[in-house]
Amino acid sequence: MDTAELIRLGVYGTSILLILIGLYAVLTKKSLIKIIIGLSIIDGGIHLLLIGIGYVKGGTAPIFSPGSEDAVARMVDPVPQALVLTAIVIGFGVTAVALSLIIRLYRHHNTLNIDEIKNLKW
Amino acid sequence: METILTIFIIFIAGTAATYFLGKLNGVLRSILFLATLAATGWLFFTGITPESGIEFRILGITMGWGITPFSYIFAIIVMGLALLSGIYAVKAMEDEKNLNFFFANFLLTVMSMMGILFSLDLISFFIFWEIMTWSSYFMVVFTGKDVQKVGIKYILFSAIGAYAMLMAIVFIYSFTGSVLIGDFIDNFHLFDTQMQWLIPILLLTGFGVKSALMPLHVWAPGAYSNSPMSYTAMFSGALSKMGIYGMVIVLILIVQQIPNGYWIKEVIAWMGGITAAMATLWAIKQDDAKKMLAYSSIGQLGYIIVGVAIGTPLAMLAGLFMAVMHGIFKSTLFMVVGAVERQTGTSNFTEVTGLIRKMPWTFLAALMSIIALAGIPPLGGFIGKWMLYESLMGSNHYLLIIMIFFSSTAAFLYCFKFLFGFFLGQEEKEWSHVKEAPAMMVIPMLILAGFAFLLGIFPGLILKPINEGMQFLGYVSTTNRFWEMSIIFNDWGNAVVMMPIFYWIIGVFVFFLVFLTIKGYKTTRYVSTKDISTSGEIPKEHENLTFTMGFMQPFLRAVAPVMKRQIDKYYTSIGNGLEALFDFTRRINTGNGQTYALYFVVFIIILLLFKDSLF
Amino acid sequence: MVGTPVFLIAIPLLAAFLIPLIGMIWKESVRIIPGLVLAYMTVLSASLYLFILENGTYVETIAGWQAPWGIDLVFSPLTGLLATIMTFMGFIVWLYSYRFKSNVEFEAAKKYFIFLMLLVAGSVGIVITGDIFNQFVFIEIVGISAYALTAFYTGRNSAEAAFKYLIMGSLSASALLIAIIIVYAQLGTLNMAEIAANIDQMNVHYRIIAMIFFIIGIGVEAEIFPLNGWAPDAYTEAPGPVGGAFSGIVVKAGIYAMVRMMFTLFDISGPMKILIVIGLVTLIVAETSALRQEKLKRMLAYSSIGQMGLVLVAFGMGTKAGVFAALFLMLNHAIIKPLLFLSGSFLTFNTTEKYISQITGMAKKMPVVSVLFALGALAISGLPPFSGFWSKLSVLTAAADENLMLIIALVLIISVIEIVYYFRVINRLFFFEYDESVSVKPHKPGFNGMIALFILAGLILLIGFYPASVTGYLDLAADDLLNTHQYIDKVLQLGQSIIQ
Repeated sequence: MDTAELIRLGVYGTSILLILIGLYAVLTKKSLIKIIIGLSIIDGGIHLLLIGIGYVKGGTAPIFSPGSEDAVARMVDPVPQALVLTAIVIGFGVTAVALSLIIRLYRHHNTLNIDEIKNLKW
Repeated sequence: METILTIFIIFIAGTAATYFLGKLNGVLRSILFLATLAATGWLFFTGITPESGIEFRILGITMGWGITPFSYIFAIIVMGLALLSGIYAVKAMEDEKNLNFFFANFLLTVMSMMGILFSLDLISFFIFWEIMTWSSYFMVVFTGKDVQKVGIKYILFSAIGAYAMLMAIVFIYSFTGSVLIGDFIDNFHLFDTQMQWLIPILLLTGFGVKSALMPLHVWAPGAYSNSPMSYTAMFSGALSKMGIYGMVIVLILIVQQIPNGYWIKEVIAWMGGITAAMATLWAIKQDDAKKMLAYSSIGQLGYIIVGVAIGTPLAMLAGLFMAVMHGIFKSTLFMVVGAVERQTGTSNFTEVTGLIRKMPWTFLAALMSIIALAGIPPLGGFIGKWMLYESLMGSNHYLLIIMIFFSSTAAFLYCFKFLFGFFLGQEEKEWSHVKEAPAMMVIPMLILAGFAFLLGIFPGLILKPINEGMQFLGYVSTTNRFWEMSIIFNDWGNAVVMMPIFYWIIGVFVFFLVFLTIKGYKTTRYVSTKDISTSGEIPKEHENLTFTMGFMQPFLRAVAPVMKRQIDKYYTSIGNGLEALFDFTRRINTGNGQTYALYFVVFIIILLLFKDSLF
Repeated sequence: MVGTPVFLIAIPLLAAFLIPLIGMIWKESVRIIPGLVLAYMTVLSASLYLFILENGTYVETIAGWQAPWGIDLVFSPLTGLLATIMTFMGFIVWLYSYRFKSNVEFEAAKKYFIFLMLLVAGSVGIVITGDIFNQFVFIEIVGISAYALTAFYTGRNSAEAAFKYLIMGSLSASALLIAIIIVYAQLGTLNMAEIAANIDQMNVHYRIIAMIFFIIGIGVEAEIFPLNGWAPDAYTEAPGPVGGAFSGIVVKAGIYAMVRMMFTLFDISGPMKILIVIGLVTLIVAETSALRQEKLKRMLAYSSIGQMGLVLVAFGMGTKAGVFAALFLMLNHAIIKPLLFLSGSFLTFNTTEKYISQITGMAKKMPVVSVLFALGALAISGLPPFSGFWSKLSVLTAAADENLMLIIALVLIISVIEIVYYFRVINRLFFFEYDESVSVKPHKPGFNGMIALFILAGLILLIGFYPASVTGYLDLAADDLLNTHQYIDKVLQLGQSIIQ
């Protein structure tokens, strides 16, 4: 197993670990803030996974510059990076909305415990 | 043919006009309503001949409208009853609210029933069937009484029936690729055995609900007694016959083709017999005239079903003849109850007594129809029952005949109760102000009662169309001389041989009535019927002791074990159980956001576990 | 033509940025401009739809990057039909909510209308895009505007509903992203047509796992069973018209995404057990839950979820008849359910709890709205002669063609339940006496709201009495969905033709 493979496995493993940690937080933590943190961790894990796919060992930034045509072969895949940028922005937006909702919830319920916020059920 | 379309266009336009213009003015509404009925009635009786039809396509499915000699019989009942009860309704309902809705809905029901009879394909049949269901539903809940209980029960059973039918229709369509009733009947023998049994059973479930066959009848008492009486006249008289109409078609044309299909008929006949017997017992028990007539309707429909399901030519003739007769006399009776209720404000036997002098014409109509109902000559009910007995004898259904005989004898009890309760007995001070119902209500009743009388003497008037209809269905294959099947008709089949006897009976009745009215008038001693002492019992003060109170207790005590088990209770407990179950399913959504997240994870795991079988 | 498909997305996004600026000068513009934009979108997508019916599928490449490299927008008989329905429903919802609450002040109205516009734009984007990551972005746009709209009312439980929606929404977005990653890692492309063309090269295990994550990712938007816990809350707490928009527009987009994924991306032909199973479970759970609801909007929400389950069942049959039936159901549901939500929110206008018991006897006070509500209820429970009957009939015949008797029986039993709970409401509405102590104060509906309701009611009657008016279009759309090769050819060929 060469180093590229190892790094790749490491990246994949880390990202899956991150996703699982995030899921754990979402499923077990009672605080709304912690749940949102969990969601962000999941997002982070997925972004890492996405980057990992495009990884090329010793690759260069996917930018064309004159005189470095040979670099094209060693370029990391640009698409995942573009995707990650978009995904990060979206994740940021969602987190912002979530936090503002949490403020509203706290004002209305005077608690951040998700078990106590269930006026709407059945 | 154009006339068919014209009729339906008039109906729709009339419905819309009655609804929207009826908001402006009550007189205009009544005129529009009656004009619609009259115009369509006139068009139908003059412009439509059997075997005329049109075809068209919707969603790539060929459909057709037309009328067959068989449906013509039912169409006569529907149109006739609609006209008469329409006239009655205009007067009877005049003080109610929301009348534009009532009359528009009335027209819609009539249209849907005509549509059912005009449909030559199953899809338009079903469409009209459903229109009939929901428009009659709105009438059941119209008075706003017991809406959630009675109304929901009616719509629930109707929906179950209708969807059973729809299921059959869908199967038929996917097997034959056509929804035309004719194609279906021609191709029925090609179906596999499983389908050959399933389809008739599903269809019969659908029709059984509307014709109040025993385990499916629980909606009927409430629905019949809750809708306005002017509508129930048609509801019980004509609408329930739609179930019979479908049932005849299924039994004659489809069940006939099944090997061993004989059993279906036998089972249906028995269910009809049980319906007749049980419903009669329940009818005796009722103190409310509406409820009593409702149960009586169920019982009478039971007879009709027995006749139709036995399926010998004579039995079929008897069943259909009774269907017509039942349409006539039961609508009259419901109209009578409506009139009594309108004039006195109640329809309870234990409260209203002695109206014979106050409402003589209503009494006359009630008397005639009761005689017809009980099956006493010379009115039409007798002939129907006679033919039914004769056919049951002829086909060796001895147990069934005992049952029918028992129930029709027991029917006398409630017939008597009805007459005595409202009209005979002593007059109460309380009802001294009561007047005869308005002419617009009395005349339709009398016309119908007249028909009941006419058909009793000249049954050929309706037996001929029935015979033609049956021949169209390919049933009475060889002979046109239907009267040879029963021994009571004369050589020409137009009339009944016992005519001289009937005239005597009429004479006696008339004499007796005249005698009573003249003689008994002066010597009546007035005592409150609600507070008298009867043999040996010492009543408490203000105890209601009208004649109909606790009527026929010994008899009811004797049959109590049979009546103890009410199918209604089982349905109620099933319903409650289901509601509790459904209440549980909605608790799946706990309201906790974290649980939903858990579902999310669990769902992924489930999908991953079952990925081999699901993908 | 009045524009190209890209305007369907670009114009509302542009308008969303401009409206606050214009609003500083002219306050009424925050209400009017979104309406104009939605009207323009309706006209545009309708004219494009008519155009492609004559000239065949139209593929637009963005910024000159041809497929499979660039993002492309596909306007086909299917997507065009859906886009037209969605934009039209968006316009109806705008028409209804224009001055829905006249006391709502400038700031709130601004947010409401901007997010409504974005919701419609995002949904249309989900439908017309030809790129899975682009679809993901649109799903997120829809998601964020939906969270915001759900949380519109302050001082109620709306934030709670929005928060639940948000948790589910962001979890599903993660799942969707994982699915996209898997597909991209395997095939190196994000273009739907290209994925569909090369799907055979994908490792079969990865394919199934990708499919699972797609289903989960889109399932929240499509409201399939275990993922739909948020839906009743959001429908109940969002402003009435938004409930209509959710059921008429957003769910349709979710269903489309799911179906496009199954039919085109993974090119499954024949019956799809997974869709049938999910659909049936959704149908049963939702409709049985609806039976016991105490709140009007919650009941409507469950009914909406149930209908979507039925749509999935019909799609799952995988036959032409099944797809046709499913599209017919979607069309009818897109018309009827907004009618129910819109008229229902007039009926419950003066209450925040929206209990069914609170509309007791309202027909005496608000007769027209009540009649329209009853019309919708009759239509959605599949009673003839209204439009719902024809779609239910086509579902049943499609199932009968495949010999799926159990499904027929189940669907019919569920229909009975549906009839029962809708008729309970109708009973309360019409045949109970109005009672001051129980019922809410009647509200005088606005003129524009009534027009919106009448348009929807007119469509119900039109389709009910003359189903042939829409079946032709649905037929073309069904063909379009089933013909994967044609889709691939169209999208990729056009890309090549631009190179040359």
